[in-house]
Amino acid sequence: MSETQSSYRVALLFNANKIYDREIITGIGDYLRSTRTGWDLFLEEDYRCRLNGIERWQGHGIIADFDDPEVSAALARSQLPVVAVGGSYADESDYPDKVPYVATDNFKLVKLALDHLIESGLQRFACFSLPAAPTNRWAQEREKAFEFRMRQEGLECHIYRGEKTYAPSWETTVRQQMEWLQSLPKPIGIVAVTDARALQLLQACLSADIAVPEQVALIGIDNDPLARTLTRIPLSSVAQGTHEMGMTAAHLMHRMLHGVQLDPTRIVIPPAGINVMASSRHEPANHPYVMKARHFIRLHACHGIRTEQVADYVGVSRSSLEMYFRRSRGHSVHDEILHFKLAAAQQLLRDENLSIAEIAIRCGFSSMQYMHAVFKRELGCTPRGYQEQLALSSDEPAHPLNETGQ
Amino acid sequence: MISNDPMHSTLSRHETIRQAPAGRNYSYYTLSNAHDSRVVISDLGANLISWFARDRYGRVQDILLGYPDVTGYETNPVYFGGLIGRWANRIEAARFSLDGVEYRVDSNEGRNHLHGGDAGFHLALWDAERDGDGLLMKYVSHEGDGGFPGTVRVAVRYCLDDQDALTIDFSATSDAPTPINLTSHPYFNLNGGTADIYDHILSIEADSYLTIDASAIPTGRAEVSGSAFDFRQPAPIGPRLAWPDPQLKLGHGFDHCYCLPPLLNEAEPREVATVFDPGSGRQLTVATTAPGLQFYSGNFLDGVQGRKPDPYRKHDGFCLEAQAFPNQINGPDKEAVILRPGQVFRQITRYALSLWP
Repeated sequence: MSETQSSYRVALLFNANKIYDREIITGIGDYLRSTRTGWDLFLEEDYRCRLNGIERWQGHGIIADFDDPEVSAALARSQLPVVAVGGSYADESDYPDKVPYVATDNFKLVKLALDHLIESGLQRFACFSLPAAPTNRWAQEREKAFEFRMRQEGLECHIYRGEKTYAPSWETTVRQQMEWLQSLPKPIGIVAVTDARALQLLQACLSADIAVPEQVALIGIDNDPLARTLTRIPLSSVAQGTHEMGMTAAHLMHRMLHGVQLDPTRIVIPPAGINVMASSRHEPANHPYVMKARHFIRLHACHGIRTEQVADYVGVSRSSLEMYFRRSRGHSVHDEILHFKLAAAQQLLRDENLSIAEIAIRCGFSSMQYMHAVFKRELGCTPRGYQEQLALSSDEPAHPLNETGQ
Repeated sequence: MISNDPMHSTLSRHETIRQAPAGRNYSYYTLSNAHDSRVVISDLGANLISWFARDRYGRVQDILLGYPDVTGYETNPVYFGGLIGRWANRIEAARFSLDGVEYRVDSNEGRNHLHGGDAGFHLALWDAERDGDGLLMKYVSHEGDGGFPGTVRVAVRYCLDDQDALTIDFSATSDAPTPINLTSHPYFNLNGGTADIYDHILSIEADSYLTIDASAIPTGRAEVSGSAFDFRQPAPIGPRLAWPDPQLKLGHGFDHCYCLPPLLNEAEPREVATVFDPGSGRQLTVATTAPGLQFYSGNFLDGVQGRKPDPYRKHDGFCLEAQAFPNQINGPDKEAVILRPGQVFRQITRYALSLWP
């Protein structure tokens, strides 16, 4: 499959002014370098100029940014191999027909941003989007992902599209953004559909004297290095898998140029990472329900309490208490109770001259065998073995018995 | 240290301690460190049972796949966490010749031999003892076990340091020439099992890998460049599984051995792979002295019951197994995988965890 004698001519229809497109192009370039493939690449300053009459272009293949409907419309008539690059869609029918499509996963981009805000202890969320336009359907897809998650979590869904910012109406737009920010409950975590959009909101927060990240924790999408340097508060951001999108698009084109018939392949690329900066470093606090529950467990773990009793004490259903525990503690209420019981047993083994059976009863284990099993599983030794190890290492300072799971 | 420190983690509630057939209890040993990481190892099979580690939010989760209780490890059909020997990976037609003698070993995967066969080290009861800050495990594989010649004495030392690096130090001797290929077979899922491994971002320092036939026996060596197998730059696993590639079809995903760059110092493992999970922030770095690295994308996990109510699904975990090359005992470079009396087999593999903020 030598390509040395006559190079393939491949057009790249991308907006090379945007960081997203530029990184995809970098991925394409890296693929070509890694395979020592020499394509003649055609990259226009304004790719829209090329659209007219593209079907008559004397090249071999086209890789194009299909987020622009004009591009997908123009290429529908192309006889050349085409690889489409663009945003993912929640609805299958929104994808273009019969063309291999490499997508950035809008759903997972928003999920990663939201997971981060949720794990930071926030409980209210908003999405700052863009006025809908044919060229930014990805923004609406990100809204959909946000909405879906809010519904799933049973949370109120705040989405604000605002106006486009441009010079003549700048002040009005910023004022509207400030009003929206002021109308939101606080503290709140906000996902902006791009870093550019997040930067505008960050500015509005500063103007409205709203503390970031204490009152508004903010995260964008694109991981644009500019967004970290342009502001006093560096911006957190989710990185798209742009490099791999470029690699994948180039590989599919490479295969097609060699005559491989591709099924309508669709390859969806997950986020490449998340860059947590000051704008979203919200200090986590345990949910009040979890704090209340742990207080109860701390007092009563050794009395043989069960999850239901904890839920009754807190005054919520068992299932929602489990959800709060999973989220802020990473384990179940039952595990939490067991942790306290185990810690209490270790304390007694260390400090008291009691029989193992007595300790099992005092710590609320249903049987000595069960305590034995828990010790073996969690500490890799029996209660007796634990005591012996302690005796062996008695010249070393004993572990202070902390509250578990700190 | 071998731990007895206070609990910090999720308890897996389904585990039980069972009486072993020989009338002896299986034991779990826990290595822990100042970082709140805990690695649980059983003397049944010297298996890696669990590795509890923090994510970027401070949550402790088990990043290894495993069975709900110890009975799963008595048969261990998917080799969860197994210490694999006497021959890791495959031997074509379960036969080889050594010094002019033809040997037949267990054929337990179609006509081929896989992972030590019925006498696999991962099914044996090992002796375990504390060894300084590590856990030393020993096993004697007798002549004829699984069809292999020579009695092999194998020792494996597990050690977890305060940088969250788990070092596995293998050594073995034999009283007669025998093929040997040892590996550790943990299945990782760096998000702690909250999702599959599609979004894990993998990089492997290797320019070439071994292509396989439909029974996963190597057929030759291929450049990674221009293929789904090129992980010299980090790439997500899921999308690569979707690249059109006949080798991925043959393996039902990735189940291929990478040819690692030359080892400069025999006692010093070189870093050969990293896996990063953006969601949890966990990153795994693999270093080894072995010449090959099998990347397996958990292609046959569907329906295997793990520790959660729902069974595992395809691609719920991945393995990066440092080892010699599959079927090398039947290839031109067979002498490199033969252990002779007086020689000591040695291999060091290190799995190190780190966190992205």
